[in-house]
Amino acid sequence: MKLSEALSIVQKAPTDAQPFPVLLACGFTPLHLENYLAAHLQTALPDRKVRIATGLYDNLAGTLEQFDPSGAEAVAVVIEWFDLDPRLGYRKLGGWGQRVAANILETTEATLARLEAAISKIPAFVKVALVLPSLPLTPAFHTSGWQASGPEIALRELVGAFAGRLPSHPSVLLLNEQRLNEQSNPAERYDLRADLYSGFPYALKHADALGAALAALIASPQPKKGLITDLDDTLWLGLVGEDGHDSVAWDLASHAQLHGLYQQMLHALADQGVLIAIASKNSPEVVERALARTDLLLARDKIFPIEVHWEAKSGSVERILKTWNIGADSAVFVDDNRMELEEVRAAFPDMECILFPKDYAAGLAMLHRLRDLFGKPRLAEEDAYRLATIKQNRQITESGRDGDLADQFLSTAEAVITVEWNPPATDRRVVELVNKTNQFNLNGVRYTEAEWRQKLQDPNRFVLAVSYQDKFGPLGKIAVLAGERSAGQIQIDTWVMSCRAFSRRIEYQSIAQLFQYLETPDIIFDFMSTAKNGPMRDFLGSLLERPDLALTREAFLAKCPKLHHEVIGNMDTIEQLR
Amino acid sequence: MDETASKLEQCFQIAFPNLDPAAISSASVDSVPQWDSVAQITLLNLIGEEFAIDIDFEEFEGANSFSEMLARLRERLSSSNSN
Repeated sequence: MKLSEALSIVQKAPTDAQPFPVLLACGFTPLHLENYLAAHLQTALPDRKVRIATGLYDNLAGTLEQFDPSGAEAVAVVIEWFDLDPRLGYRKLGGWGQRVAANILETTEATLARLEAAISKIPAFVKVALVLPSLPLTPAFHTSGWQASGPEIALRELVGAFAGRLPSHPSVLLLNEQRLNEQSNPAERYDLRADLYSGFPYALKHADALGAALAALIASPQPKKGLITDLDDTLWLGLVGEDGHDSVAWDLASHAQLHGLYQQMLHALADQGVLIAIASKNSPEVVERALARTDLLLARDKIFPIEVHWEAKSGSVERILKTWNIGADSAVFVDDNRMELEEVRAAFPDMECILFPKDYAAGLAMLHRLRDLFGKPRLAEEDAYRLATIKQNRQITESGRDGDLADQFLSTAEAVITVEWNPPATDRRVVELVNKTNQFNLNGVRYTEAEWRQKLQDPNRFVLAVSYQDKFGPLGKIAVLAGERSAGQIQIDTWVMSCRAFSRRIEYQSIAQLFQYLETPDIIFDFMSTAKNGPMRDFLGSLLERPDLALTREAFLAKCPKLHHEVIGNMDTIEQLR
Repeated sequence: MDETASKLEQCFQIAFPNLDPAAISSASVDSVPQWDSVAQITLLNLIGEEFAIDIDFEEFEGANSFSEMLARLRERLSSSNSN
């Protein structure tokens, strides 16, 4: 991005939009890094007005120590060698060489400890994007430039150890140096003239790359949830229907390694909770034989559902999305056939459709692309049992075609609901659920962690977090309700439930808990229709003539089906809420 | 207005978005409150980008008005051409 483009983007940002305040913490003059960071963030968050605040010059640790969490949703921390010891830069003349090397190491260690302490005090609801030194070290060491000196190795070890300790902080996101190196040539990053003249050390191109990288960490898109893959010349090399199940290949000797790597990637994605399905035009029995091969690198039980027939792939994709209960914008479709890709893309314009490439360079790029699309900052407990839940959901749905059967199924499920009244503000899963859930969502209103925390300070406010498990396994925390008690009336302004938890009557149990423990005669829901919250609209429609009417206890009990859950939780907390 | 002056005006417009376009040709450090040392560097970087030249900040030191900037820029461009 050119500097003029960056400045134009910042100048054209909507002035009346909700602010997105960010602290840029760096020890140098922020100058164009500030412009580029603002521009890239503004592009990623078009409905917000990005505001960048900067800290103290030449005092990175001081900036972080003075950080006021109420004033920023995110902090971008940019560390350079001269922040760790000024002698590692070009603006101070404190000496180079073996004479000062030991002292530089001591100062660096102390500064890193100070930075770590300051970062660890930043509350978990503030995102911290952190860049380790990205500029080359000065020629301050006794070896030739080709040879790494002891002090250089020790410096990098200190920084590496510092970086290794940071992920334990719940909101620190460390920039991947490898990706930055791909975007910005290390040899062209430093601008000595700009550094000496203005205190800004970066060439414009590097400032642009760093701004983009920081924005990608701070405003990363939601990871995709599912991948639908073709089989022939995609999951494996060859046409299984023609070559036979034992002749399709994915190994090095058959020059099919890219397909093996793809299988390996899908298995890894499945392990981190990504849903994997197959959409293939083939004969089911031939495919089953191929999928039964023991050398398949993607475990058969990780794939669900499997759509193998000769009908259009868009129909397969539609059924897969329905089974997964996710939107097209949360899924990725991979196929080696351009026509199939176009057919699916036409039916699902929001879906990311990827051509499985024929050449190695493009294949490698595709594997990296998949990492980007599905990458998560951290793995949650729920990620491990997402697929099991969906398989179980299908069982419930199929039995649910007959009301008695559904009731029978649920009565034997040994379901336990754990209610948590007013979970701590530090529970990030609660806000994550509110912001990630689309379908069973009362009104689609999103909150930043800071806004959520702010609302919790209202003494009339309550939050109910609901977790679920049954004999098939836990679903984890799957629903959140929040609202206010005012003049004896309960008004719910936030209600979300993960689509994984549908068909278990958890929504009924949630309302039952409100009536039981808040001792209220009726409840008002701040419902607002969105493009995606049809399931919530239908549910409220089954209870109320109009969603803006109050739901009385009597009306609810008249329509509530039999609930088979055992309910446990911190009921004592409720006394403080009454 | 020649191309150099016109392009320089564009740089001023981006660096000082609140400046009345009609006032750019007479703009100076005294008439534009936002024209501080940081804005000066931004302006010079924009000029470098627009004219595809490697700007030496010191070469433009003391250029505190549009007309002075334009004069130094013309000098810089002509020396580039003669080289």
